[in-house]
Amino acid sequence: MMGWGWSWRLRCCGHHAASLAGIRGVHGGSGGGWAGAIGGRAAAAGKVHCSLLKPMFLRNSVSAHLCRPQSRLLHSSLVACCYSKTNSEAKYKDPFKLGSNDLKNLYEDIKKELFITTQELKEMCEYYFDGKGKALRPMLVVLMARACNIHHNNCRDMHPAQRSIAVIAEMIHTASLVHDDVIDGSNSRRGKKTVNQIWGERKAVLAGDYILSAASVALARVGNATVISVLSQVIEDLVRGEFLQLGSKENENERFAHYLEKTFKKTASLIANSCKAVSILACPDPKVHEIAYQYGKNIGIAFQLIDDVLDFTSCADQLGKPAAADLKLGLATGPVLFACQQFPELNALIMRRFSLAGDVERAWQYVRQSDGVHQTTYLAQRYCSEAIREISKLQPSPERDALIQLTETVLTRDK
Amino acid sequence: MEDMCGGTMSLMKCGIWSLGIFRPCTSSFCTRRSISLFPGSPTTTQWSKVVSDAEKIVGYPTSFMSLRCLLSDELSNIAMQVRKLVGTKHPLLNTARAFVYDSRNNLQMRGLVVLLISKAAGPSKAADDTLQHDMVSGIYASQRNLAEITELIHTAFLVHRGIVNITELKSCDGPLKDMQFGNKMAILSGDFLLANACTGLAQLQNTKVVELVSSAIGDLVQGIYYENSYLPEKNAFTDDIGITNWMEHIFLSHGALLAKGCQAAMELAKHDTEVQSMAFQYGKHMSLSYKLNSDLQPFLNGKHSGTSFGLNCAPVVLHQEFVGREAWMEEVKQAHLKGNLIDLAKLQEAIKAGKGVTAAIDLCRYHGNKALENLQCFPPSKARSALENIVYAVTRFP
Repeated sequence: MMGWGWSWRLRCCGHHAASLAGIRGVHGGSGGGWAGAIGGRAAAAGKVHCSLLKPMFLRNSVSAHLCRPQSRLLHSSLVACCYSKTNSEAKYKDPFKLGSNDLKNLYEDIKKELFITTQELKEMCEYYFDGKGKALRPMLVVLMARACNIHHNNCRDMHPAQRSIAVIAEMIHTASLVHDDVIDGSNSRRGKKTVNQIWGERKAVLAGDYILSAASVALARVGNATVISVLSQVIEDLVRGEFLQLGSKENENERFAHYLEKTFKKTASLIANSCKAVSILACPDPKVHEIAYQYGKNIGIAFQLIDDVLDFTSCADQLGKPAAADLKLGLATGPVLFACQQFPELNALIMRRFSLAGDVERAWQYVRQSDGVHQTTYLAQRYCSEAIREISKLQPSPERDALIQLTETVLTRDK
Repeated sequence: MEDMCGGTMSLMKCGIWSLGIFRPCTSSFCTRRSISLFPGSPTTTQWSKVVSDAEKIVGYPTSFMSLRCLLSDELSNIAMQVRKLVGTKHPLLNTARAFVYDSRNNLQMRGLVVLLISKAAGPSKAADDTLQHDMVSGIYASQRNLAEITELIHTAFLVHRGIVNITELKSCDGPLKDMQFGNKMAILSGDFLLANACTGLAQLQNTKVVELVSSAIGDLVQGIYYENSYLPEKNAFTDDIGITNWMEHIFLSHGALLAKGCQAAMELAKHDTEVQSMAFQYGKHMSLSYKLNSDLQPFLNGKHSGTSFGLNCAPVVLHQEFVGREAWMEEVKQAHLKGNLIDLAKLQEAIKAGKGVTAAIDLCRYHGNKALENLQCFPPSKARSALENIVYAVTRFP
């Protein structure tokens, strides 16, 4: 039965562009539909939209299988097959090992990009480049670079420019972390105090700005105008994603689309576009660029979905930050949105962004009692299958297989 | 799943800044913050004339900013949310107010100068004819975009300068929650402007320009960082930075963006490195002389004299150099009132009696002349005269 619920959800994602257009269309003149500020119009818009989706939603448990052939996940069983096949084929080397050689001096190289004369600013900017991060993005980038190079001309060597993209991706990511922590008022990350906690908000914002400008300079030095455009898009997406996170939708269906769009912009865009950037540097074939982009987008969304799950399943020690952090920030992520299907009582809590005393605890309980965590994990699995389907279009190579393997790592990580 | 997240934001929103939050400042707290986000410019009628003449030369007023940005969903939402800050002392409120109401006084000088120097330089010999079609009033479309980008960056940092440290707040500043919210809005809107500058830069399709302007952002950050470390609440007047360091820091915070913007404008028109360097030098020296001029205002007997001045302004730094550190510390001590307050008027008299003010005037003129020298590589034109007039306006003292 759960599976049917899925097919609806995933189809909803597939129709995301359309439903988004719908949202935009109705919201056009209302200022983006921020909860509270323009509640009346947003609600009206929500109703229109809801009436379109609700029938489908209501029957999804009974007759969703009728709709299934339309589903874009028609191939899902096929993908699952091929997934399990690749899985059983050979024991891959640890995917992280394959890329680790390329990333040996990653943090030294990042620090070389930060030309700073003041000691304190330098310390702040280098603070997160301590080698303790997961460096997932650089890893994906170098593996993608080699996979594309082999696909293109059977040559595994990586161009220095592609290596630079790994550096730049990590820098852009870190710059956004620094600003996010100020915005969220976070005190700890990766098991240590945040930059704003140590040096104050004023300086932290400047440090983030500096890292971004250094990334931008490094990007310019790559010397490829298309690559610059691709990665500049990321910077814009990151901000727009942060804006999306400020608002919330009253309507359940819109809320899910909103959540996925935010997830794409805040997390997946960077991965998708940096994968695309190295593929552009590898070969001129737009098909390859699209494969790289789609792989990055799908694994990126999966990564964030799991991140949102971990906020409910992991303890603070593992995460390096407090658990249930999202709820405390008023954010309704995947597990909550799914739980809300089972427990409509959650609606009110979501709408007031868990702001009343006891809201966070109650929401947490609801989520734990519901299938929310499972459903979100399942959704992440589907995105991973899609990522695998995309990357499998490249010529076989150890790096390509490592990228397939990495989807597994993303799904099973516990921190 | 292809355009799963490709929805484009609808751009048009109207009247976002007229939501009633930006009433002209009436309450007393407006001037209280120690950093002025819009430091005084030489606002004489003569200055306005220099600028309005210059605006005619480049085709249209430069108070355009990026309409695309201003009219975006994101900033409209910020504008609505900023209303919550009314009644608090969050600097974002004043930045927003000043942006709307004082746009005439705080004209967008960087954009204007980039446009003027583009026009003064004209098309280069290296540029092919296809590029020529792109010209309006003697300025390439890419150069106009660049002018806009420099303004976006400048504005982004006006906003980011106004972040407050949460732990240092006093109860009179406003409720903690509101101040946190103000920070959030300030970070987001600054980031939004910066992100737009980044995508705008990318669209110029010139990697050298991207590198130049991005490095200017880095310079700006470092400059502001220094600037912050001299804030009076840090008792930084006891630090003896010396005029050489001061010049370096001021170049970073007030000159790099314009200098590199001017250079980038030359690069966009394919002018050679020599012309590019002259344009850079003009931008640099003009900014320095402009900054020296505005630092001097409180010490001149004009209508802008007052007792409000920063302890890291040029006349003070120079004065400190002349009298020596010990004598300066003595003067500061004598101006000490009870508590941690300082009698600025008394200190001002001491500085006026010394050589710091004249030295600052000389320095201002020195940089003005340097700026003028670098204009000589351009053929005489109205645009070049306008650039010269800007220098004359900031180097003239009563």
